[in-house]
Amino acid sequence: MKKNVRVCLAIALLALMVMPMAIHAEEKVIRIGAMYPMTGRPGLYGIDSVAAAEMAMDEINGKGGVNGYKIDATFTDSKAKPAYAVRVATRYITEDKVHFLFGIVSSGVGLAVTEVSKQYKTIFIGTDHASTQLTVDKFQPYYFRVSNDTFSSMAAGALYLKELQAKKPWKTIAYIGPDYAYGHDQWNELRYNLDRFGVKHKVVGEYWPKLFEPDYNSYVTSLINDKPDILVTGFWGGDTVAFIKQAQAYGMFKKTLYFQPDAGGNYELMSAMGAELPAGLVLGARHYNNWPDTERNRNFVQSFFKRTGRYPTYAAEGAYAGVYAIAKAVEAVGNPDDTEALVKALSTLKIQLPEDPEGFTSYIDPETHQIMQMQAIGVTMPNNDFPPAKMMLGDWKVYKPEDIAPPAEYIKEKRK
Amino acid sequence: MTKETAMNFKAATLWGMIVVLFALVPVLASSPYQINLASHVLIWSLFAVSFNMLWGVTGMLSLGQALFYGLGAYSVGLLVNYLGSAWYLPGIGIGLLAAALLAFFLGLLVIRVGGVYFTMLTLAFGQLAWQITFKWYDFTGGDDGIQGIMPPGLLGNKTAYYYFLLVLVLVSIWILKRMAYSPFGLILRCVQQNPDRVRFLGRRVRRNQLRIYIISSFFSALAGSLMVGVDSSIHTDMLYWTTSGEVILMSVLGGINQFFGPFVGAVAIILIEDYVGAYTEYWSLIIGTIMLVMVLGFPKGLVGEARRLIMRFGRTETGR
Repeated sequence: MKKNVRVCLAIALLALMVMPMAIHAEEKVIRIGAMYPMTGRPGLYGIDSVAAAEMAMDEINGKGGVNGYKIDATFTDSKAKPAYAVRVATRYITEDKVHFLFGIVSSGVGLAVTEVSKQYKTIFIGTDHASTQLTVDKFQPYYFRVSNDTFSSMAAGALYLKELQAKKPWKTIAYIGPDYAYGHDQWNELRYNLDRFGVKHKVVGEYWPKLFEPDYNSYVTSLINDKPDILVTGFWGGDTVAFIKQAQAYGMFKKTLYFQPDAGGNYELMSAMGAELPAGLVLGARHYNNWPDTERNRNFVQSFFKRTGRYPTYAAEGAYAGVYAIAKAVEAVGNPDDTEALVKALSTLKIQLPEDPEGFTSYIDPETHQIMQMQAIGVTMPNNDFPPAKMMLGDWKVYKPEDIAPPAEYIKEKRK
Repeated sequence: MTKETAMNFKAATLWGMIVVLFALVPVLASSPYQINLASHVLIWSLFAVSFNMLWGVTGMLSLGQALFYGLGAYSVGLLVNYLGSAWYLPGIGIGLLAAALLAFFLGLLVIRVGGVYFTMLTLAFGQLAWQITFKWYDFTGGDDGIQGIMPPGLLGNKTAYYYFLLVLVLVSIWILKRMAYSPFGLILRCVQQNPDRVRFLGRRVRRNQLRIYIISSFFSALAGSLMVGVDSSIHTDMLYWTTSGEVILMSVLGGINQFFGPFVGAVAIILIEDYVGAYTEYWSLIIGTIMLVMVLGFPKGLVGEARRLIMRFGRTETGR
């Protein structure tokens, strides 16, 4: 009896190993090796990115592909671990012979993968990680990013605060953000830009809770004592929700303006908080479901909704843009195999994306390989158009990419 | 042939097979990825085997060996980053020395307690090191880590580096194996099974525990420093407790009471992770199921169960 159980277990084990086998064999294919976290806290960003990338591929392949090439992507869970992602990227390049590495949510993982891309001279299209290092200090010619970096968000934030100061004088500012690279980068870049634009300010508090901190009460009480006019936060995902809920209980937003220009305006926050989300918070993100109000953006958001039954978070548009950027570059070059020609095509790429307002076309900056896009910042207000959210952003302020991109002297200094 | 020479012959054949198999990887590999994968397998094997000298042999379950693995990696990474790639090899040496010294002082503290208290203390120190590395952004790069760490000269070639690490890993494992079956190894086993008896025999329990703690940490650091050249990058994950957890999984899967158990466990986990991860994001479910099946159905691990089968169906020679 016991022996039988063991035999059954052994067979089950073998079956498990063989089950996921799949064979890809197609000719004239643009192969993309994508990596996203599909599990854990950043899992939603990965899942939305995959859905949007597949949507873009279906749209392009549905119209016959690019120059007779179909786009095919393999998605692997990066586990948000650099060492594992490096291994997967190496496999993609050397075994699967992909033409493009693609995706990545965490900047730490992105920095590790850009090294692989450089070594094997394979193009890497970054779609969601935001560290400015990738396009400035650690720039390498095979890397391109099709979503905002933190620098642009923070420069737009600094301009917003400058305009605000002219209208409604404010003096003091405080910051709270997660204690890791992303949190620190945002604060450093915001202060750099406030100084650059000559915005006078006094820092009255700086707080560094750990990432995924569940309890912000002690930070909130300290912040209330600091009495800042502006509270800048650098959270993302569930941390934003937790902080806003706890700070609201103390009536924090009555006297202090809540300001989160990089990831605060992500739809994830609106859908998670519903009617609980206070009005009057000033938030920014890398894509919005209700801005710009163009046909292209409406189509993108509605197609995503039709496909998944939910509205997209901002990561989705990055992945969607990435696939279209690849298609456009291959179209210009004629094939996906001539990497150097593709690099050239990508570095001067101009592309219409859902995020572009009327009359503007996104383009890649040849110097940094960073996509240049209009950046909007909005204020929370009631809006039932995108359930389960009850509040969305409105009252937009829009900034031109030339005004918010890292200035030449900043790039020179960092690349020294 | 006497029984002893037969055993020696068998052991030599096993070693010969392992050496030939891994030495042939770059020749047979159809892509650089297979060399990369084999490098990962070898390094994790060394890490797992050195960890198992602590746990499987001496019965000290440490949840903090990632501290030493990371220390080895960060010594090389930081030295190369700040002083140039000529510091790659000296970096390995400095890392090993630092690991041995740290293990000595840390060992004096943590070995005073046994069982779960030892495990908790090693975990605490490991996490402390992780926190410091994570927060010291200006020096260590925080969670962004450090990239672009290239070994100098000939070692910059991936195949040359593979042979370099192959030699170091195999020599280390051979040393550990000699140690496991030496009189010192026997005392370690006694320490696990009956520490009082060890004292009655006039041997010191703590001194032997400290020795093996230093030795295990030394080889863990070697594994970490070798990994730098494979991935060209270091990051805080290497110090995180889950890295320590991973070698525990490898040991359990391969069999903790077999010297080569963790080796086989490491090979299996890396290959499963790679193979399953390539096709589905439910990799953790599959690894979890495999672990569950192994622990419930085959508690001796892959190597233990294989030996049992050989003993039952094969010739009646007794294995060790």
